[in-house]
Amino acid sequence: MQSIINSIVKNRNLIIYIVLSLITFNFLYQKSPIHSTNIGKIATFISGTSSSFSSSVSSYFSLRSKNQKLITENLELKKVESKYNILSQNTENLSILSGPITSAEVILNSVNKNKNIIVINKGLSEGVNKEMGVISSNGIVGIVKNVTDNYSSIISLLNIDLKINAILKKSSTLGSISWDGKNPKIVKLNDIPLSSSIKVGDTIITGGMSFYFPKGIPIGEIIDYDNSSLEGYYEIDILIFNDFSSLSNVYVIDRSDNEEIKDLLYE
Amino acid sequence: MNREVFRNIFIYSTILTLQIFIFNHINLFEIITPYIYILIFIIYKTSYDKTLLLFLGFLSGIIIDLSIQTYGCHTFATITICYLRTKIEKTSFGVNANLPSAMVKGTKFSSRAFFFLSLIFIHSIIYYSLIFFNINAIVEIFSYTIINSIITFMIVWVISKLISNK
Repeated sequence: MQSIINSIVKNRNLIIYIVLSLITFNFLYQKSPIHSTNIGKIATFISGTSSSFSSSVSSYFSLRSKNQKLITENLELKKVESKYNILSQNTENLSILSGPITSAEVILNSVNKNKNIIVINKGLSEGVNKEMGVISSNGIVGIVKNVTDNYSSIISLLNIDLKINAILKKSSTLGSISWDGKNPKIVKLNDIPLSSSIKVGDTIITGGMSFYFPKGIPIGEIIDYDNSSLEGYYEIDILIFNDFSSLSNVYVIDRSDNEEIKDLLYE
Repeated sequence: MNREVFRNIFIYSTILTLQIFIFNHINLFEIITPYIYILIFIIYKTSYDKTLLLFLGFLSGIIIDLSIQTYGCHTFATITICYLRTKIEKTSFGVNANLPSAMVKGTKFSSRAFFFLSLIFIHSIIYYSLIFFNINAIVEIFSYTIINSIITFMIVWVISKLISNK
């Protein structure tokens, strides 16, 4: 303590000089606008430089947490990317469609009845006709039932009266899709013989053997199956890709070769 | 002792008064304004208290600043020369730095001239640096400093002779 006091006494002139200088500069800063501006600039430069330095030092030490954050962000992006890939793959399905496609907006929809009907805002005037297939970017939606000039009603896939031709994507085994009127996310795949090899996660697509949909439009994936049936067929539950409760945009497929095939069949 | 204090107060007051009422209004060629009040810090005897000199410098600087609205430029220049004076004394007078009136008598002319010029030059360069406060005005700062230092030195030298003779 004594040495500190001695040091202060010994350097008292320096301390007084510094104090008086600070008072002077404060006076200069307060009273002179030019000096105030220039001192402000110098202060900004010094604080900017020191902040930049301290920021780079602190950012170096926080690299670990930043790295962790980037990994998390990267993971999220990967998820988005895979989702995008699925969507774009599904949209590519549109390009395999042979006839013209009409896009439409869903204006009426239901999922809580046995015979759900969807109404869209396109009709005869837009080229929509009866028995045309309707799909969305996630898969099939249904078949056009009735048409007016500007609107069309669609038999939803969630309608117990509808049966759609479908195949296992992996083995091309033919079956048919129908809804049992219970869970709007799950439909049944029928007519798959027990001799076929299936497993949970297998994808189901349209078989192309109908007047409504071409081959390859995604429907859903197997989430459960029962092979104890005595009839020789699996009872398969399919989780459908489409979320019918939030359906907003659909595409109506015009298979122009339908009539020709029908003529051939019923001749 | 009391007589010496009064004499000093009288001399310092006179010099400050001359500076405020006469020399501050001299502006030859819009450059030259002699700052003869530096003489106060030149003739301050080496035997006097250096801390008192710092406060004297601060007070004188403030008075001059208030009189010509330079907001502390003179104050900083004067306290700086007051703080550096001990070192300049030793550099200028060497072993004779202990003589109380080394700056006016008993030492070589060259030593005294160097002492005078050093204090005046340091004061001027600090003062003009603060006045311009711009690195781009370095030529103006040096030209004002050199011209004013020379003029101030001549006037201060003459006044110091007059005071020492009396």
